[in-house]
Amino acid sequence: MAPHEKHAAPLVTVTADDVERLCEFLYRRTGMLFDGSKRYYFDRRLTERMLATRSRTFQEYFANLRADAEHEIEHLINAFTVNETYFYREDHQLRCMTSNLLDEIVLRKGPDEPIRIWSLPCSTGEEPYSIAIWLMENWPDVDRHNIEIIGSDIDTRALAAAAEGIYGERALMRLSRSIKERYFRPLMDSTYQIDPGLRDSIRFTKVNLVDTPSMAGFRNIDIVFCRNVLIYFDDASRRLAAENIYDCLRPGGYICLGHSETMSRISSLYRVCRFPDAIIYQKPEAEDGSR
Amino acid sequence: MAAVENADRRRRILVVDDSSLVRLYYHSALERAGFAVEQAINGIEATEKVLAQRFDLLIVDINMPGMDGFSFVRDLRHRKADIAALPILMITTEADETDISDARAAGVNYYLVKPVSEADLVRHATALAGPAS
Amino acid sequence: MPLVKRDNPLPAGPPERSPVADLESPDIEVRWRAARGIAPEPKFVTSLATALERESASRVREAIITALIRIGDRSSAQVLLPYLRSQDAGVRTAAIDALQAMPDATAPFMTSLLGDADSDVRILAAELVRNMPAETATSLLASLLDRESHPNVCGAAVEVLTELGTPTALPSLQACAARFAGTPFLPFAISHAIARISRAEG
Repeated sequence: MAPHEKHAAPLVTVTADDVERLCEFLYRRTGMLFDGSKRYYFDRRLTERMLATRSRTFQEYFANLRADAEHEIEHLINAFTVNETYFYREDHQLRCMTSNLLDEIVLRKGPDEPIRIWSLPCSTGEEPYSIAIWLMENWPDVDRHNIEIIGSDIDTRALAAAAEGIYGERALMRLSRSIKERYFRPLMDSTYQIDPGLRDSIRFTKVNLVDTPSMAGFRNIDIVFCRNVLIYFDDASRRLAAENIYDCLRPGGYICLGHSETMSRISSLYRVCRFPDAIIYQKPEAEDGSR
Repeated sequence: MAAVENADRRRRILVVDDSSLVRLYYHSALERAGFAVEQAINGIEATEKVLAQRFDLLIVDINMPGMDGFSFVRDLRHRKADIAALPILMITTEADETDISDARAAGVNYYLVKPVSEADLVRHATALAGPAS
Repeated sequence: MPLVKRDNPLPAGPPERSPVADLESPDIEVRWRAARGIAPEPKFVTSLATALERESASRVREAIITALIRIGDRSSAQVLLPYLRSQDAGVRTAAIDALQAMPDATAPFMTSLLGDADSDVRILAAELVRNMPAETATSLLASLLDRESHPNVCGAAVEVLTELGTPTALPSLQACAARFAGTPFLPFAISHAIARISRAEG
């Protein structure tokens, strides 16, 4: 314990019942789903938030959370989503892309039709570059098709950083040395810059998920990666974003959400698809008729 | 997880209901009777679980947020054969003729109206899933 | 390298038409675009209401409801209320999801919904109480328990009290447990609610 904590009262214990109540609440508000195996993870995050809000009991904390006092829901979500972005994050979805999704997608493509993949939001670019690198490293058919990768975000500074493509060591921690050597150039200050050819081949554009006109220029997208952003939206905005993305996808196109997210509190437009590496949602291929 | 599942010869039931108390009630009654029980809060979560794990019976409510029970059942019946053939017990608050015939049309195997006693629950689960282990 | 970059975004779609008129189009895509293109302003609630009544495609229905949620005023909530009684489970689900997204607009109708003649509506109404502040919600649900004879409505109320109930609910919970002693499920549910509420204070 740090010196200033010498006289602190012992931490309030959080029971399994409290954790369950919190999970249910988080699910209803955000669609985030956590299974029982994540309990340890919960205890720590919850205790952090209780300390930060000076709540003496779980009940006190929960009451504030329900009322969303001081945007506590957002703080809690932040505590549960890893905000640090890095290359090859949640790579099970990238694996699903090359193991399953692309096979389905190429079946529907004409000879010169490009495969279109959209990272939205792309933040500072780790995700779209990861997609590109992963494809080149893992997809045997990568040279047989034209692939268009787009990275979009509402934050123009993040987009500028993405276009520049300079990253610190931490962002590259999941990449092998050979991948680092193939796609990055080390700079003087221990940072790395993405190879210019790769940087130039990705389109970075400003887009606002809930602004329908800003999404209207994107059509016939095959895969959208929309991870860990919809959980922060309110119900109306989530629905609108889901509808906007729906229009951007081609029939049969896929949308990947973040690891703990589910479509169930977002929209009923999509169909659930289960692949060995991931659960992905799909825009129906054909209208299945009215109900 | 896989290793445990192989050694576990219990019949597996997925309970789909948006009420945590209902899920808890069925869960304890069915586990006491020797079944292995998983839970889902609505049709979308249930679909994800059904596609990822083996089950011998689904117990499904109708009124759930996001995806109602009928939509869930209808969607399931369109998927590949082993999933389309899963026995489904619908237990719900709805009691009129339209609901019962809708259920039959959607491919539900049996229909019970809440509240259901533990004994009835176990009896019908056993009839549809087979003995617990 | 197989990566290609297109520098210009795709051209914009066809010029804007009147979304309100298009809500009645026989073409599902036209109706979909219309529902999505309507500005979220109260003056369009009536047109959206009429469209919702006639709409059979679930995707367009979702878009109309999104528009109503975005408007989010009392008149929007009023449009959605009758759909709680629909014979179609999907429609009921869509309506309740929408009303849950607009708690302020729904609040004035809660007392009447909780007292509705149809027990199925009272069950759905109890779920809507979840979005209200804990004290008001507890008070509404405790009153409901005091006068409710249908076990499934009580069950729905108890479920919500388990999340947000304050100790003022305890007497009504206990009385309800006594009334339904020996019946399946409800005594179990109530004992959980009571344990949860008592533990929270302890």
